[in-house]
Amino acid sequence: MQFLNPIALWLAALAIPIILLYMLKLRRKQVQVSSTLLWIQLLRDQQANTPWQRLRRNLLLILQLIILAALVLSLARPSIETPAIASGSVIVLMDASASMNATDVSPSRFETARSTIRSLIDGLSGDSKMTLILAGQTPQTLVTAEGDKSLLRKALAQAEPMQGSSDWQAAFSLASAVARGSQAESTIVIVSDGGLPKTGLPSLPGEVRYVPIGSSDDNVAITALALRRSASSPQLFAEVTNFSGARRVVLISFYKDDELLDARQLDLPAGETQGMTLENLPNASGVYKAQISNSAQGNSPLDSFALDDAAFAVYQSTSARRVLLVSKGNLFLEQLLASLPGIQPFRALPAQNGTLQISSDPFDLYIFDGLILPELPAANLLLVNVPTNELFTVGESFDETGNVTVEDHALTRFVDWSNVHVLQAQKVQTPEWAEMLVNSEPGPLAFAGETGGRRVAALTFDLRESDLPLQVTFPILFSNLINYLIPPNAFDSTQSLHVGEHLEILTQPGVEQVVIASPSNQAFSFTPGENVITFTKTQELGFYAVNFLSKDSNSAAYFAVNLFDPIESDIRPQESIQVGQTAITPVVSEQVGLRELWPWLIGLALVILILEWQMFHHRQLPFLLTKVRRT
Amino acid sequence: MIFDEATLRKLNQLTLVASRVRTGAIKGERRSSRRGSSVEFADYRNYTPGDDLRRLDWNIYARHERPFIKLLEEEEDLAVHILVDGSRSMGWGEGDQHKFNYALRLAAGLGSIVLASGDVLTVGFLQNGRVADEYGPSRGQGTLPRLFNFLDGLEADGETDLNSSLREYTITPRRPGLAILISDLLADGGYESGLRQLLGRGFEAALIHILSPDELDPPLAGDLQLIDVETNQTQDVSLDNSLRERFGAKARAWISSIQNDCRRQGVRYLELTTSLPWDQALLLEMRRASIVK
Repeated sequence: MQFLNPIALWLAALAIPIILLYMLKLRRKQVQVSSTLLWIQLLRDQQANTPWQRLRRNLLLILQLIILAALVLSLARPSIETPAIASGSVIVLMDASASMNATDVSPSRFETARSTIRSLIDGLSGDSKMTLILAGQTPQTLVTAEGDKSLLRKALAQAEPMQGSSDWQAAFSLASAVARGSQAESTIVIVSDGGLPKTGLPSLPGEVRYVPIGSSDDNVAITALALRRSASSPQLFAEVTNFSGARRVVLISFYKDDELLDARQLDLPAGETQGMTLENLPNASGVYKAQISNSAQGNSPLDSFALDDAAFAVYQSTSARRVLLVSKGNLFLEQLLASLPGIQPFRALPAQNGTLQISSDPFDLYIFDGLILPELPAANLLLVNVPTNELFTVGESFDETGNVTVEDHALTRFVDWSNVHVLQAQKVQTPEWAEMLVNSEPGPLAFAGETGGRRVAALTFDLRESDLPLQVTFPILFSNLINYLIPPNAFDSTQSLHVGEHLEILTQPGVEQVVIASPSNQAFSFTPGENVITFTKTQELGFYAVNFLSKDSNSAAYFAVNLFDPIESDIRPQESIQVGQTAITPVVSEQVGLRELWPWLIGLALVILILEWQMFHHRQLPFLLTKVRRT
Repeated sequence: MIFDEATLRKLNQLTLVASRVRTGAIKGERRSSRRGSSVEFADYRNYTPGDDLRRLDWNIYARHERPFIKLLEEEEDLAVHILVDGSRSMGWGEGDQHKFNYALRLAAGLGSIVLASGDVLTVGFLQNGRVADEYGPSRGQGTLPRLFNFLDGLEADGETDLNSSLREYTITPRRPGLAILISDLLADGGYESGLRQLLGRGFEAALIHILSPDELDPPLAGDLQLIDVETNQTQDVSLDNSLRERFGAKARAWISSIQNDCRRQGVRYLELTTSLPWDQALLLEMRRASIVK
């Protein structure tokens, strides 16, 4: 406790005139009464409680002296010392990275950081200003150069930790921008557990202080979980790292769609990483989950950082589309299929004797070129110049192919037929299920549609009898047709995302709405337009379900967001951080903040003044009232 | 001026109604004990100046050459003594609430009634422990102006010692009757022994206790030094609400103790505050207290 303005204490001498005035005032006013007889009798009765009476008589004086004391003290500006880390223009960088969720300090590192900053705010001297920057994936300025402590506290209360890593570069840029904007010398306080990049952080203008948060390095993490497509079945690869300084034995369990597949016990020395591979997994789409837990006790938490104790991987079974080309040999088609992305082409040739044998292995798409099987496989078909089959009848050929119209259809987008010439086509009666794509007067040249649960597209002419393969339209038309017949995956889900990374989603024609459900069952809805949908709300760890809603059918796909960040998983609090060329070590509150007490004293004086006024009037009012009544 | 025009008018009205108003309520008892129950003639008594000459027994005057008054049966002859406290504390109050003036007006009113009903009136003025002045005994309405004159000349001054004043009054031989003491009773030594002495001499006693309103509820506050106008005694008082309340309670307790004391001794007691008009006090309150009827 100290006084900032001790000279004001001399004002305490004002007590002397107050006491003098009081003594003068106590020279009683002389009043004549008809008789003092009753007064003397009355006061003789009262004599028992005289001391109290005397005190009461002096109560006003005592109260006045207390008011004076409070006022004089407040003018002397008493203050108590509080440990403060910074004052003046303060910029606080609050770490909001995933590791701040660690619970090695109760209740969590982030809450500890919050209370540390709250005490910083409390210790802020009167004219100091504070800027709060929440360093997350995208740094966020919570409040800029604010001196109002209640606003600062309010802004601080809104801060929430993220589940990803922090972009310290951006946070530092923001901080230095704020520091350059303020006139005073800035103090930059970094409240963090030290998960900053070791190199490459720019130096900051002003003094940099570091307040470390956290006490323990107790963490075992799943640092990788990935699915690999092998020839027959997918493989799951997992990697577990022990970041703590002690040997840990953990149990790793693998689930597919919440069904336990496998569990293994891992013995991890300090700092070691161990990988494992699960093979012969079922070749079916699904969400794989790996979870590490305490091998000994069932329910006790494994470590202080729970976010990296589970990881997800998604397997989408048909990622490369298998296409079988049944042909006597068609260079154009073979070249085209080889060049289209995401397609695994196969070729089937008829035997020497003319018989056709195709593999019983299912394909996503069968292309028949000039041949047909008597019994068509139950899959999507692209039929080029085929004879009569179970889907439609083929008649004579015709050569009046000059007047051609290209129907307005999704499959004919960007198709330009003006330079295409067809020598000869076969006359086909367009089946009822088919929609016309390219039409000429005698009959269709191309049509597509759905029948019997499969999609079918057909060209009624031999490619070699037209110049279509030489035009730009050829790959466009066939790409449209093949994408229609075997829709590509909306996105590549084999790679898991990091928090904050965005995902591009391709939608098929006919999808009216895309609804993405986050791990906490928050729904994000998109309407597909011309462009791909870019989903950026990957703030949560876990797997997300992407639902494609179309008029008659719904389908779903999944993708996973995992931490997989050794910097975040390594929760050991750092002794120092490297900013620019200097290492910043934690401050040992050397600077002392002052908390002034004068508002409380003024408040006290005011309360006592009200009390005194009340007392004075309690005594005087009846008398004054009678006086008024008389006049 | 005690007897201003309004007061005199009221006194005149009072004399008109005085035939119906009588002093004392106890004459029946006196008659039985003093004169027996003779039917018409009761007694003769010496003539005193102011007696109605029509009542003179001329036959006896012719025989003895001495005037006698013939007392008839229904005729009362009551000696009424009005004793007015003339201490300085009685000189308290302003205007119509001045206690001494109020007391004098009451005395004048009572005197009018007494004289109008043919009783004998004596007025004693008690001051400084003595009977400072005395009027009467007189009889007959004709003496009223003299009574007013006498009362007008009185002034409240000096200290109260009711006991010794009353003792002196009773020591002087006089005809006992109804004694009406008008006082504020604000005397250190009290009044009880004097009153007892009066009763011992065969007086009927009535006590009219006069107080001004500000004596019961003093309009005072703060740190005061109270000075007694009579004795110049001082008393320091820090007056706040609670003390004022306790003073009020004390005053009421004091009055009721006097009232009880009087009832015990068979003394009629009437407490009057000077805020009540004196003629109302005379006609209503005194009737209620059976001092007049």
